[in-house]
Amino acid sequence: MSIEVKNLIKTFGERRVIDDVSFKVEDGETLAIVGFSGSGKSTILKLICGLLTPDSGEIITSKGDIAMVFQYSALFDSLNVADNIAFALHERKDLRKKYSEKEIRKIVSEKLELVGLKGIENKFPSELSGGMQKRVSFARAIVTEPNSILYDEPTAGLDPISSTLIEDYIVRLKDETNAASIVVTHQMSTITRTANHVIMLYDGKVVFEGTPQEMLRQENEYTKQFVTASLDGPMHMISEN
Amino acid sequence: MSSLQKYYKQSATYKIFSGMFSELEKFLDTLGKITLNAIEVYKWIFKGQIDWREVINQCSRFGVSSLPITLSIVGMTSIIVASQVALEMVKQGGGNFVGLLMTMLIVREVGVIMSGFAIISMIGSSLASEIATMRVTEQIDAISVLKVNPIRYLFVPRVLSGFIMMPPVVLIASAVGVIAGAVTAHLTSGLGYRAFFDSAWLGIYMKDLFVSILKAFTFGGVIALISCSCGYYAKGGAKGVGEATTKAVVWSFVAIVILDMFFAMVFFF
Repeated sequence: MSIEVKNLIKTFGERRVIDDVSFKVEDGETLAIVGFSGSGKSTILKLICGLLTPDSGEIITSKGDIAMVFQYSALFDSLNVADNIAFALHERKDLRKKYSEKEIRKIVSEKLELVGLKGIENKFPSELSGGMQKRVSFARAIVTEPNSILYDEPTAGLDPISSTLIEDYIVRLKDETNAASIVVTHQMSTITRTANHVIMLYDGKVVFEGTPQEMLRQENEYTKQFVTASLDGPMHMISEN
Repeated sequence: MSSLQKYYKQSATYKIFSGMFSELEKFLDTLGKITLNAIEVYKWIFKGQIDWREVINQCSRFGVSSLPITLSIVGMTSIIVASQVALEMVKQGGGNFVGLLMTMLIVREVGVIMSGFAIISMIGSSLASEIATMRVTEQIDAISVLKVNPIRYLFVPRVLSGFIMMPPVVLIASAVGVIAGAVTAHLTSGLGYRAFFDSAWLGIYMKDLFVSILKAFTFGGVIALISCSCGYYAKGGAKGVGEATTKAVVWSFVAIVILDMFFAMVFFF
């Protein structure tokens, strides 16, 4: 077991954003979390990686690092690609002692090769396309050899071909690292191409849990509405409530 | 809720007081956060967890980049004061005290406080908007997820550079201010340079220089700390960055005026 979430609850002001959510992701597996905007998907990732504290419930992760790929990459715009990827190796006391500068350069080069971007070490994030920025953020995330990787809408805002490329890298990174991965997404292609399991959230609650194939069968009224992108169904945008 | 409570909540008195309490709550919240950040910054400094390469980069930004505007503001303030005071004092027979007055004014107050204002508007606003942008673009979250402490990485080099660079900036600005005062006094009242500087030396004590450097040291650190803190807690998008920058400038201005008053009471009462 690499990530286990038990009875998680998180409230912002009066609103319960996460309401008794539980799931498990084993090593080498990918869970897709889907749902409307504002249904609490990204909040779950922030709770798992410690950016937010839950009101109640448990998050159990196996020992080691948790990496996160942010929706808009969140690359450090004042640092070049090499320094972005090597950030944790330079700044963390435990890793700084472990690697020499030569070894760090080698690691950076290897990670860039893994995401298909060899030779762009000296470029700045502003000189890269959205898809390239996303791949650099993948390289930065895996530099600490994490046990778990969290992806927050990794294909949002990308063209279909770049999305496919990113989806392939999610699968490749999972295979290379055997990490437990969680992908928050709206895109059907990302769900079907990357995930072993899917949970769907609505109003902070889990309304579907199964495989991508089960989701596509539309046996659940929530999945049916999501897959067909219909306005008719049990789910309404939060602002409409 | 009873109808009396409803009626009370709609009253102007309730709205005024609830508005005041809400503002007081925000003020105390900001003050608390700045204090906690200050404690954490000192903790990292005393632990010796300092990235000196980044400190040097920030020193260059704090000192070198701000120097032209700081010298201009202190120099021009000095010209304004000297042009109004020198001729009148010479006419009244107080020409021998022009240098003393100008030097005392510049070394004790104008040099430090005007440099502080220049640095707030140029460096403080830039620090706040830089860190606020990092916050709203999730770069600070990325730092935390990579298990690097954002206060150590972002605050420590900036606050240290404030402490280190503000005293030399103030000393250079004060020297330029005194020279600008002497030239202005000479041009407006015909007062000789020798007479100006002879009396100027009478107006400077070691204590004045010490207090000036101490004030500059404190102001530099405080401006950097407040600016970083206001940026760090920014929320939302571009609007949040703008609000954080405004807040940093206002808080820094008020803080250095209060600190200046405190220094005046402790050292010159």
